[in-house]
Amino acid sequence: MNSSRLKTILRYLVSIIIIGIFVFPIAWFALTSVKPISAVFNKDRVVVFDFEPTFDNYRVTILGGKKSDNNANSSLGMGTSGEGAYDGRGSILSSLIIAVSSTFLATSLSLLAAYALSRLSFRGSQGYMHWVLSQRFLPPIAIIVPLVFIFRDLGLRDTHLGIIIAHTLINIPIALLLLKSFFDDVPVEVDQAAMIDGATRFQCFYLVVLPMIKGGVAATAVLCFIFSWTEFLLSLFLTNSIRTVPVKITTFVTSTGSEWGYISALGTAAIIPGFIFILLVQNHLVRGLTMGAIKD
Amino acid sequence: MISRGSLPRWLTSEHPLPWLFPVTSLLVVFGLYPVLYSLWLSFYKRNPATRKEKFLPSWNWNKLISDDRVWDAVEITLTYVVIALVLQLVLGMLIALLLDTDRKGFGVMRALMTLPLVVPPAVTGMMFLLMYDSSFGVISNSLYALNLLSPSAPILGTSSTALWGVIVADVWQWTPFMVLIMLAGLRALPREPFEAASIDGASGIQSFFYLTLPMMSKIIALAILIRGIDLFRIFDYVKVMTDSGPGTATETLTAYAGTVYFKTANFPYASTVALATLIVVLVVSSVFIKVFKIKF
Repeated sequence: MNSSRLKTILRYLVSIIIIGIFVFPIAWFALTSVKPISAVFNKDRVVVFDFEPTFDNYRVTILGGKKSDNNANSSLGMGTSGEGAYDGRGSILSSLIIAVSSTFLATSLSLLAAYALSRLSFRGSQGYMHWVLSQRFLPPIAIIVPLVFIFRDLGLRDTHLGIIIAHTLINIPIALLLLKSFFDDVPVEVDQAAMIDGATRFQCFYLVVLPMIKGGVAATAVLCFIFSWTEFLLSLFLTNSIRTVPVKITTFVTSTGSEWGYISALGTAAIIPGFIFILLVQNHLVRGLTMGAIKD
Repeated sequence: MISRGSLPRWLTSEHPLPWLFPVTSLLVVFGLYPVLYSLWLSFYKRNPATRKEKFLPSWNWNKLISDDRVWDAVEITLTYVVIALVLQLVLGMLIALLLDTDRKGFGVMRALMTLPLVVPPAVTGMMFLLMYDSSFGVISNSLYALNLLSPSAPILGTSSTALWGVIVADVWQWTPFMVLIMLAGLRALPREPFEAASIDGASGIQSFFYLTLPMMSKIIALAILIRGIDLFRIFDYVKVMTDSGPGTATETLTAYAGTVYFKTANFPYASTVALATLIVVLVVSSVFIKVFKIKF
């Protein structure tokens, strides 16, 4: 066997092992979600796959089934009591409402600003960009204390609208910088030609340039959705009763023990939307993650 | 058409104002105003007994400087940022080099590599909690089998290993980010210099250090900036996995601000700690952007 052949085989082998390491935690989590509770907690059976798969954990967390119907689980008697404690349906609905609304708001408002920053040269536009960028680097914890007060005064605390605003806020810098980079890709001559034909600036934006960057807008929206869907800190501090999915999952950990079956079921379900979406925007992913700084 | 002619210019789409107004007002009300509010709060001294607040501008800032827990948190944060950043950077580059080929199967592997990026960080924390569990965790049990860990010293329950436990979760989630950016950088490299170098007899390692690295310096700087700041803002993993413990062994600056906020309700001091984090982030990032001439 020659050495280049050996190198190729080695490269495949090492790559597969590395990908395996990165996929393993998710696979393990997904596997735990279909294990009966006795197989999760028995350390002698940790890596042995001699169990009957069960969908009880999904039935309780995402279909709203009764916990007490799970014979295997009821005997352990751990975690918070109450029939509805592990029903994740409300959280999934809240997370969806919040992610979709904040994505729409952040993308549409940023589109306007990004167009202006890309096309209308005005004094201070560079400074404005830096200010927006500094918002991206702002640690959420730095604004959380006043935000709680402001939200309380405006009646936004513990409301969907409140978190929608908060998530729009964290998504605007990303969306704005990213959309500006897509606008910058379109030659200015396009606008000039449209305006010679009598279009106003807004018509030029809406009818001519916007359709040209549809793919970029979609990629921006997907990233905003994922950031909102996965966000934890703001949702945690700004709500009591409305629980987004990431916050809800952490409530399954209690002082008397963690309900790993329910945690892994809702957790696995929470990964799926993001994964589907990210596969749709592979082409613009790097640009999105670097806020337009690296064009692909 | 008649009405448009009579509008002042700053109300038409020729002027940046209407374009920027929605985004700017949101960022001012929910981004800038809270920061100024925080600053104003930090000038008040809170009396824990009477719960009254008194205007004493230097009180909290002096307290910050002389608070040992702040300096411990700074040290823990910096340790966390540096170790995680170096690991992610080096692993990211190595894995990118490995996956940068058009051979069959590598496209699928590159797509699988993005999987960790869509997992909500709070869920990532849960995944690793499950695998670290001292009795049935798959990582813990593997380490017991290899004699690298003793069941009497659980990973997250021991001061010397807890921070590493959190870092591993962060590295798992964000190394793919580095891989994607490095891959984009590698793909954009021109071929000619590498061909010339190999004709001149340069080894692969030589051309990596003398060609690849210098040509990718801008992209590497950008990756360090974005990831470094997100690492500095770390909150989710610590909150979910260790809640700053054991003791304060994993208490980062943002976690400390959260603790002051939640446990002592000393809002002025919580704001001060959070603002300190913000100041560090803004100073470091603006210097970095200037030095490496990064453009968004």
